[in-house]
Amino acid sequence: MRDNDIPMNLNCKLAIKSILPIFRCLNYLEKSVEKCKIVSRLDKCRVVFQFFCKHGIKRTHNVYFQDSQPLKILFEKSLCANILMIRPRLLTEAIVLLTSNQEEVTFSVTPGNFCLKSSSGESLDLSSSVYSEMSFDPEEFDFFQVGLDTEITFCFKELKGILSFSEVMHVPLSIYFDFPGKPVVLSMDDMLLEANFILATLSDHPSRVSSPQSQSLCLSQALRRTEPTQSSAQVGQSQASQAPESISRAAPKRLFPKDPLDSSCATETKRASTNQDDISEVPESVVSDMEEGPGPSQLRKFSCMFFGAVSSQQQEYASHPLDSLAIASDSEEDVSG
Amino acid sequence: MKFRAKIVDLACLNHFTRVSNMIAKLAKTCTLRISPEKLNFILSDKLASGGVSMWCELEQENIFSEFQMEGVSAENNAIYLELTSENLSRALKTAQNARALKIKLTNKHFPCLTVSVELLSSSSSSRIVTHDIPIKVIPRRLWKDLQEPSVPDSDVSIYLPALKTMKSVVEKMKNISNHLVIEANLNGELNLKIETELVCVTTHFKDLGNPLLSSESASQSRHPEDMAEVHIDIKKLLQFLAGQQVTPTKAVCNIVSNRIVHFDLLLEDISLQYFIPALS
Repeated sequence: MRDNDIPMNLNCKLAIKSILPIFRCLNYLEKSVEKCKIVSRLDKCRVVFQFFCKHGIKRTHNVYFQDSQPLKILFEKSLCANILMIRPRLLTEAIVLLTSNQEEVTFSVTPGNFCLKSSSGESLDLSSSVYSEMSFDPEEFDFFQVGLDTEITFCFKELKGILSFSEVMHVPLSIYFDFPGKPVVLSMDDMLLEANFILATLSDHPSRVSSPQSQSLCLSQALRRTEPTQSSAQVGQSQASQAPESISRAAPKRLFPKDPLDSSCATETKRASTNQDDISEVPESVVSDMEEGPGPSQLRKFSCMFFGAVSSQQQEYASHPLDSLAIASDSEEDVSG
Repeated sequence: MKFRAKIVDLACLNHFTRVSNMIAKLAKTCTLRISPEKLNFILSDKLASGGVSMWCELEQENIFSEFQMEGVSAENNAIYLELTSENLSRALKTAQNARALKIKLTNKHFPCLTVSVELLSSSSSSRIVTHDIPIKVIPRRLWKDLQEPSVPDSDVSIYLPALKTMKSVVEKMKNISNHLVIEANLNGELNLKIETELVCVTTHFKDLGNPLLSSESASQSRHPEDMAEVHIDIKKLLQFLAGQQVTPTKAVCNIVSNRIVHFDLLLEDISLQYFIPALS
């Protein structure tokens, strides 16, 4: 994105509710719009969307943005013991069959079997949800590598959202995970974009408590205070590595706030240096996020969806290029969108 | 206590699913009674249901291809379970195109009714989906409250008009008053009345026909034009009508003046009885 011909990074957030209506009528857009120009106006804190339509009509939308500080998540998904790839359709059809309204879903794998389960409630009364379970044969997967027999539990709602997104993109979904507590990465790779969704999973920690909050917060537990964002915690076995990056052209943004459940296993966060030092050029890499700042609350949430920038060579600059833009954020923030 | 049953016929499965959907609309929590010949869905007239009671009966032979049960004891060869009706209907809904469905009583961490569905997945290999529905086993000492309600000697017995019509009428009436009068006579006339300070609304149904009453004395001494009426809570009537998704094979309404209205439906081979008491 250029402003006055100076290439620079734009780290900002836009409200989804503002952007969606602009691109809502696909039919209209396809028939009447000849050109779409998206320009950032840093001086006015705006992103301007202009549609040049037939008959000389020009539609302009000004969307205000707020600055945001992306955090880098260093997580090498290829080091995960379990890697699966499946056509999202299959999972979606199966998800429909899970009858409970539970917030969490569980993947249970062995080398010979993949089992999708709705998370079992702990209570023993009639009002507890039905517990459902279904198995998949490894043959149904495009790629099935299970190095570790394990069961991970994470937010159901997010999975549904991710699945519907990947179906729309017509891209197979890859799932990377390890032991419970370590994040699961759901990713899709296409010519146009690569998307990685990092979701926290419930760890086996006995003191886990269920989430009191509503929709955006799905997994939480009693945490010890995570380290201040300035320092970087090391994730499991993953070395500091670059998450794969790709330039996104059209980038719908969504927010998947997550809690790290066990800070030592959780996704690593590392605050990127201040924006001013970022030099790499990134065409629209606008990411939505929430207010960061851990505050006194023990809960931290991350946006899990990010579109990174792919560059053929690594940037040599002092600050890292904007590869992963995952934002730590406070709980309770109402993400409008 | 043991229970295992299997359905392989798709028509039977759909029928059972429809009944389960209806029960889910009529009662949030209900009792499932399993006996060697029958399955019953029961709602007894506790305060929680506002005095409404329901008795639904189906012959297991007509639905299940395999059926085995062992009750609490040899003399009391029945199983009474309490469950959330919607859980069962939702589990059955996932079996829309199933090859087979199995239900059994299990105890995994807590007592469950496990519904296991064998589906043909899109990749043409069969997939098994299991649902564990939590249940509560009802102890023997409470069984006496869950017996088949005795059908009262009614003053008037009449065939019901189309339930969908009744439902749309009652739905509109609900906005005006909470209190509805249902009355009928032996001349095939049934009226639904509501009355407020400002307005009275009556819907008349005619030429409905009356089934022959078994007790001769009642019908002889009664003038055919005389209306037997009951004042009931409109919401209860609406809930009953809303649960009826299918046109019944037979639908009869029995009224005991100022006491109770009794709906007796036959849905193919499944019988449903629903009792709404008069408002005190």
